[in-house]
Amino acid sequence: MLLKFEDVKLYYDRVFALRGVTLDLAEGETVALIGANGAGKSSILRAITGLSKIESGSISFRGERIDGRDPASIVGMGIAMVPEGRRVFPYMSVKDNLMMGAFTRSGRADIRRSLDGVLERFPRLQERLRQSAGTLSGGEQQMLVIGRALMARPKLLLLDEPSLGIAPKLVQDIARSIVRINRDDGVSVLLVEQNSRMALSISHRAYAITTGNVVISGESRKLLNDSRIKAAYLGGAV
Amino acid sequence: MEQVMANGVYLGSQYAMIALGLTLIFALMNVLNFAHGQMYVIGGFVTYTFYGQFGLPFVLALLMSCVTLAILGALIEKFLFGPVIRRSSREESTMLLAAGLAFLLDAMILLVFGEKQRGVPKIVDGVLNWDFRIIMPYDRILICFLAMVSIAAFIAFMQFSKTGRALRALAQDRDAAQLMGVNVNRYSMIGFALGAMLAGLVGGLLVTITGVNLGMGGPTSIKAFMMVMIGGAGVISGAILGGFILGMLEAVGLAVLSQYGDITYLVIFVALMIFLAIRPQGLMGKPWG
Repeated sequence: MLLKFEDVKLYYDRVFALRGVTLDLAEGETVALIGANGAGKSSILRAITGLSKIESGSISFRGERIDGRDPASIVGMGIAMVPEGRRVFPYMSVKDNLMMGAFTRSGRADIRRSLDGVLERFPRLQERLRQSAGTLSGGEQQMLVIGRALMARPKLLLLDEPSLGIAPKLVQDIARSIVRINRDDGVSVLLVEQNSRMALSISHRAYAITTGNVVISGESRKLLNDSRIKAAYLGGAV
Repeated sequence: MEQVMANGVYLGSQYAMIALGLTLIFALMNVLNFAHGQMYVIGGFVTYTFYGQFGLPFVLALLMSCVTLAILGALIEKFLFGPVIRRSSREESTMLLAAGLAFLLDAMILLVFGEKQRGVPKIVDGVLNWDFRIIMPYDRILICFLAMVSIAAFIAFMQFSKTGRALRALAQDRDAAQLMGVNVNRYSMIGFALGAMLAGLVGGLLVTITGVNLGMGGPTSIKAFMMVMIGGAGVISGAILGGFILGMLEAVGLAVLSQYGDITYLVIFVALMIFLAIRPQGLMGKPWG
């Protein structure tokens, strides 16, 4: 297993965010976490990256315990995160934003190659390389933060609500890029999404999270037709 | 007129450097460093000690000022501001700490360097006299030049080096910077050391012109805060602009208002209050650029 959560508990200000979450992700997989706002999906990502400290349980990455480590060293192990709400560095150029993604890497030529790769994937960024990131549209910013995460050349990519606040037409584009990143580059993906339909259609497996617990898990294809999932997360229709 | 402009540029170049250090620390850590003026004074005394007393080359003494203040700044961040920020999310905590630190440094300066005004031998002799339109001693011109080179070097460092990029990222979005692998503790320390170093460098430069004494710390801090308020807190361009504007105002004030008595700063303060009432975020007000 690439990533393993065992009975992870986490709380903020004495309020439980995660009440014993167990989940895993195999190399090469795309796994989706679906659920309503405040269910604890983002807490799972914050726990992995070390931005939030867990109370008990364990998190391991490629067999190594990573809970308790600081975010900087976890990034260095090959986990990159695209935070919710895009979070570009608004007063830095698009290029500097991308270069920040490669912060833990060394080797100028290597980084240059990654930059070219990202710009090839998102040609829109190439046109705006010198522009301040804060002046980009929402969709472009989302491409930028995904590109920035790829600059770390991660083994595991964590995506927190990549479709949030993006024009519907661009959501398709973003979904397609996630599939390509997983399929073509062999990057494993852990995807947190409120847009459950999109998340289930591009992932291999999924976990449905409610109030800090995993309630349903299984293959995404099957979950799309699961009556409980349909009722709770897909709004019934279609 | 030319003379006033020249004086303004000279003063502004020094002020801009002081403001840069202050604004860097603020942008990175949200700390209002009330002890910034004291750091400047220590820088002056260090250069005085090595250049004035021990007779080492001026550049070497200047380097000692930088190194001393960088180390002092790093220690202050590591043992004072860092732990306080981790334990308390209230801004008053670091403000009180900074105010207390200013008193502590004042006391240390008194113990180590004494209360006397100290000066050093001129670094270069002679006076530039351009047709009686601008009269300026060569040492002032040299100091002004060195300050501008330092500012340019600082900007280049922030803009193009990996460390500078990380510092800017940290100032703009702490969480996102951490997710890129920036170690917050280490880079806060680097940033604070850099800010303190800038203060020390100006202290070392200016000791050759104005000398240095214990009482200069407080007023320097106040001026530094004024510049940052004029330009906009946490913005590099704002700090530089604020520094040059205050330098220019002071030069103009001294030339125009001196016949009415020592009221230059009174007028500047009143103007600043009106300005801030109209534009509280300062000229370039935005979080870091």
